[in-house]
Amino acid sequence: MRAPRSVLKQQFLKKWMMGLQVFGSAKQSMSILERKKAIKLSADIALAATRDGRTCWSRAIIADASKDDGGKVLVQHLLSPESERLKKACTGLVMDNKRVRCKKILKRSCCIKRIRKGASKVALAKSISKRIVKRRTQVLKSLVPGGEFMDDISLIEETLDYMVSLRAQVDVMRRSLAKATEVVNGK
Amino acid sequence: MINRALLPAGGGENMLHCTDMTVLERQRARIKWQQEQQQQQFQLQQQEISYFTELADVFHQAGFHEGGLSEVVTRSVKPDPGLVDNGWNNDHVVGYGVGLPYNNGLGFELNYGAISRTSSCPPEAVAAVAAATVKGSESVVSDKISSGAGRESSKKRKVDKIQNNSKVVAEEDTRDKRIKGCAEQGESKITEKNNNKNSRNNNTNKNNNSNKENSDETSKDNSKVSEVQKPDYIHVRARRGQATDSHSLAERVRREKISERMKYLQDLVPGCDKITGKAGMLDEIINYVQSLQRQVEFLSMKLAAANPRLDFNVDNLFAKEAFPACSINFPTIGMSSDMTNPAYLQFNPAQQQLLACCGLDMGIDPPDMALKRTTSAPVSIPETFLDSSCFTQTHPPPTWDADLQNLYNVAFDQGRQTSFQTQPFTGDVKLSCLFLSALY
Repeated sequence: MRAPRSVLKQQFLKKWMMGLQVFGSAKQSMSILERKKAIKLSADIALAATRDGRTCWSRAIIADASKDDGGKVLVQHLLSPESERLKKACTGLVMDNKRVRCKKILKRSCCIKRIRKGASKVALAKSISKRIVKRRTQVLKSLVPGGEFMDDISLIEETLDYMVSLRAQVDVMRRSLAKATEVVNGK
Repeated sequence: MINRALLPAGGGENMLHCTDMTVLERQRARIKWQQEQQQQQFQLQQQEISYFTELADVFHQAGFHEGGLSEVVTRSVKPDPGLVDNGWNNDHVVGYGVGLPYNNGLGFELNYGAISRTSSCPPEAVAAVAAATVKGSESVVSDKISSGAGRESSKKRKVDKIQNNSKVVAEEDTRDKRIKGCAEQGESKITEKNNNKNSRNNNTNKNNNSNKENSDETSKDNSKVSEVQKPDYIHVRARRGQATDSHSLAERVRREKISERMKYLQDLVPGCDKITGKAGMLDEIINYVQSLQRQVEFLSMKLAAANPRLDFNVDNLFAKEAFPACSINFPTIGMSSDMTNPAYLQFNPAQQQLLACCGLDMGIDPPDMALKRTTSAPVSIPETFLDSSCFTQTHPPPTWDADLQNLYNVAFDQGRQTSFQTQPFTGDVKLSCLFLSALY
C-alpha cells in the first residue's frame, strides 16, 4: 500500500516544485505573506493537477485558480504538458455550476411548501436530525472545493478523494518543511 | 436453462391477459419468480458483473410478448460473449420475457427499441466494467446486486435500480479511475471492507425486498416504464400515480448509497469507528477536513518563513524517498537554462548547476554550461558532484552533510552513467559551506 500513496505524493511534490519555480523565477523578493500565498497556491494547484480533472473538486480548484492571472500562469505551466481539454473542462465548469445552482434554487423554493407534521416525538426527532444533517452537509459543501454544486452522494465521494489528497499534501509539506528547517539549522 | 424458462411460463400464461388476472395471482407468480431469481443470483454473486444483466432486466420488464422472446434472447446474447454469467443472463432474460408481460398496452416497437438499446449498452457497460479493477467494480457491483436481489417486475424497484445503475455507473467510473490512478491505502482498505459488507448488504436487501414485495404488488400494474438509454446512465420515468412509491424506493436506494459511502469515510477519518449516525459522522468529517486545510495553511506559512527566496526546491526534492529525481529536474533545468542573466545566477548558481548536472538527459551539456557560467569556486561543485555520482555508494563524501548525501544517493540511483568527467574528488568543508550558502 505504500507504493500508490507515495506515487501520489511524488507527483504532487514534482508539480508543486514546478509551480514554485514559476514564482522563483518571477520575483526575487516577496513578503512573507506573498510567499505563503504562492506556496499555498502552487500546492493547491499541484494537488488538483494530480487528479487530472477526474474529480469535481480538482476541476473546481483549477477553475478558480484560472480566474486570476497568477493562478492562470501556474495552471498553464502545470497542466500544459498533459491536456488542453482538461483546461477547457475546467473553464466550462463555471457555466455548469451556474446552471446547477439555478436548478437547486428552484428546487429549494418548491420544497419549502412542504408541511411539517412534527406532532409525535419520533417525527420531531427525525426532523431535527434531518435539519442537523442538512446543516452539516451545507458546511461540508462549503469546505470541499466545488462542493456546492454536487448532490449528496457525489459530495461524499468527492470528500473521500479530497481527504486523501489533502492528507498527502499535508504529509509532503510537513516533510519538506522539516527538511528545510533541518538544512537551515544545520547551516 | 430451458426448464427454468418454462416454469414461469406455466404461471405466466395467466399473465398474458393481465387485465383479467387478479392481483393475487400476479403476486404469486412474481413471488415464484423472485425466489428463483434470488437463488440464481446468490450462486453467481461472487463472480458476476451484473450491470448489463440488470439493464436487460429493466428493459425486459417493460413488457413484451412471448413472440419477441427469441429475439430478446439472441439480442441479449450478443453483448456478453466472454462473460461468466452469460448463461445466467440468458436465463434471466428468458424468464422475464416469458413470465411477466403484464403491460399489454406497451407498444411492441418500444420493446424492441428498449431491447436493442439493451444490446447496445451492455458492451459499453462491460467495457467500462472490465476496464476497472475487479475490486473497484466489485464494490459497485455488489451494490447493484444487493439492490437487485429482490428484483421483480415492480416499477418502483425498476426505478430504484435504474437510478441506482445510473448513479452507480457514473460513480463507478470515477471511483475506478481513482482506484486505478492512485489506489490509496484507504481506498484499498475500503474495497476490502466492502467485500465483507457485500454479504451483509445482500442479506438485508433480500429481507427488505421480500417484505416489500407483498405490499408493493398492488399498485404496480397500471404504470408503464419508458426508458431512455444513454451510454452512461439510464433514465426512467414512471407514470403518474406511481410517484410516491417510486420516490420512496429511490430514497431508500439513495440512503443506502449514502450509508455505504459513509462507511468508507469512517475508515479514512481517524477515530470514527464508534460513531454510527450520519450527523455525527458528518461532524467528524467536517472537523477533519477543516483541520487538514488549516494544517496546509499553517505549513505553507512556515515554509514561507523558512525560505526567504522560495529556493528550497533542490533540498526538498531530494529529501523525499527515492524517486526519479531526473524527471523532476527537467522543468527546472529548462527554466534554469533560460535564465542566463548573471543576476539570477549570482543568487543560486550552485542550485542551477546541480539541477543542470542531474538533468543530463535534456541534451544540454551542463558541465560546460556550468563551467562557463560560474566563477571558479562553484565550478568544483558540479565536478565533485559528478565524481561522487560515478562512484559507488560506499564512497560518500564524508564532509558533506546528510542532505547532500541524499542528493548523491539519488543521483546514483538514477542509474544513468552519462558522460561524467572523472576528476579527483576535492570535496571539503569549504565547498559544502559555499554550496549551502548559495542555496539559502
